[in-house]
Amino acid sequence: MTLNIRELVNEDASLISRRAWSDRAVYELEKQAIFARTWLFLGHESQIRNAGDFVQAYMCETPIILARGEDMAIHASVNSCSHRGLPVCRNDHGNTKRFVCPYHNWAYKVDGELASIPQERQVKCKPDKSTLGLKKVPRVESWRGLIFGSFNEHIEPLETFLGDMTFYLGAWLDRFPGGVEFVGSPHRWVIDTNWKLPVENQLGDVYHGPYLHASIIAADSEAGMEIDNYAYNAIPTPGHGASFRLMPSDTPVDKLAWGFESVVGQLGSDELKDYLRSVQEQAEAQVGAVRARMKGLAYGVYPNLSFLWSNAGFKVSHPRGPNKVEYWSWSVVPADAPEHLKRQLRNNHASFFGPGGILEQEDAEAWMQQNIGANIDFADDRKFYYGLGLGEETTHPELPGEITTGANEYYARAFFSRWRDELLAALEQA
Amino acid sequence: MNSTLSGFELQYSVEQFYYREARLLDGREYKSWLTLIHPDISYSMPGRTNPLVDNRERGNESMISVERELEGIDSDGLPFRDENYAILWVRVDRSYKMNSWAENPPARTRRIIGNVEIIEDAGDRLSTLSNFHLFYARPGLKDYFYAGQRHDTLIRIEDSYQILKREIVMDVANVNVPTLGLFL
Repeated sequence: MTLNIRELVNEDASLISRRAWSDRAVYELEKQAIFARTWLFLGHESQIRNAGDFVQAYMCETPIILARGEDMAIHASVNSCSHRGLPVCRNDHGNTKRFVCPYHNWAYKVDGELASIPQERQVKCKPDKSTLGLKKVPRVESWRGLIFGSFNEHIEPLETFLGDMTFYLGAWLDRFPGGVEFVGSPHRWVIDTNWKLPVENQLGDVYHGPYLHASIIAADSEAGMEIDNYAYNAIPTPGHGASFRLMPSDTPVDKLAWGFESVVGQLGSDELKDYLRSVQEQAEAQVGAVRARMKGLAYGVYPNLSFLWSNAGFKVSHPRGPNKVEYWSWSVVPADAPEHLKRQLRNNHASFFGPGGILEQEDAEAWMQQNIGANIDFADDRKFYYGLGLGEETTHPELPGEITTGANEYYARAFFSRWRDELLAALEQA
Repeated sequence: MNSTLSGFELQYSVEQFYYREARLLDGREYKSWLTLIHPDISYSMPGRTNPLVDNRERGNESMISVERELEGIDSDGLPFRDENYAILWVRVDRSYKMNSWAENPPARTRRIIGNVEIIEDAGDRLSTLSNFHLFYARPGLKDYFYAGQRHDTLIRIEDSYQILKREIVMDVANVNVPTLGLFL
């Protein structure tokens, strides 16, 4: 069957085919058209502070070792031995001088260079070890400690790729003079759904909140009212998105401060509350008056990185075939917060999101049920409707990018227009 | 409770407590279950990871101990759950709302509790270990199987117990179940 990409996403991206979410051929094309070409999130510099530190990562289904070399540079290598292809790194994180393949003990430095072949002295024809290192991810760049890699040697610089998304990411990340750090190992949650749905959920789908999550966040709750009155979606570049509340300038600090709306913030110790207040009181000096009034919801960085500001989590939706994801999530805390407060703040994410979270169990249920709808027969003529707010995107004097209200689905139309165009471009080049 | 129970009687009373708890949870009587929870509860589930094995530990049991895989509440890592009474109360309250979609319709569950050991008897407090297998059938999805170990501190209340501390060690590599947000 030949793929008709324009059948998957129509011109204004208001209709999306079920096959875009479930077809194996579409998925294989996504790998070549998107994951082989764009920037992909690998990890955070706080995870690999010292020479020899490493963590595992993925670029789509390809396992990656992200490591700090002896030269203190950041290296990303494909975790697959040059001899028989086994993963040479079998641990989630650690500090080492060598990765040793279990099969024949070929040994690699943390930067991926091949250090030794035990069988080499038994043969006369010596392999050229300098050409037999692990495959390097050719481009690795960081912004604010967030490390991305790309298999596309000719890709634009990371900061160009992020564009005005840095304005929105910085609105949170730059509040903390010492930056942020990722806490512990990511939670790895396997969910029967397509990788794009968790992404879309965080990219700008504000208005599933008061409905899917009404058991916890009622529409008439304070958070629900704030979303009704002050929520915006910003689309700085198609595929990226930021949803947030832009609060009035006379909003009291306790209503504005990040973390206060969480149970952790509300029930936390006085010391924690003082800390959250102090962060907010410095916010204007750190990020300027407009961004200090921003109270974030959720963000997406194309194609599969999400940032949940309200609960301080970073997430990556790693594809595992058309109908499965490995959804990784980390709690993120300010690096210069006192250690005992970091332990309170890490809960802001894990109690609500991730596999044990009160809230995200409802999301996972919705995602798994959508996957059933995406795989059914006899309904291909009924595409998913993405037309809410069609043509109503506009601009805002204080905010970069295209701006919509919270209920407008332009964020998703923009994502799927980019997705469609990248698939078409790959097919044309093939 | 009579603190002069024999070892057999003490073991029996703890096992009966856990069977009753399992029956309440499988019967979705979460409000009744909450009466078994002490107001000062620490209820947690460590994260589970695959750290690098320390070469110097070769030959020792500690080399592959379960503890070194856990990111619990006293670690700098990321637990799956770290909850107090208020959060458990929110979870119970949620269960009886029409829009708790992950549990509407509710999953059919069956817990088997076993390997109950009293590790320490400190008078009014007992430290225990117990294992569980949980069968989980959520309408509209596949069936799932959960396994793990609970490390509890029980406090004696009149002729029964309340749970003051529970740490749940899940036997998971990747999380292959739809939620770890159950009462376990």
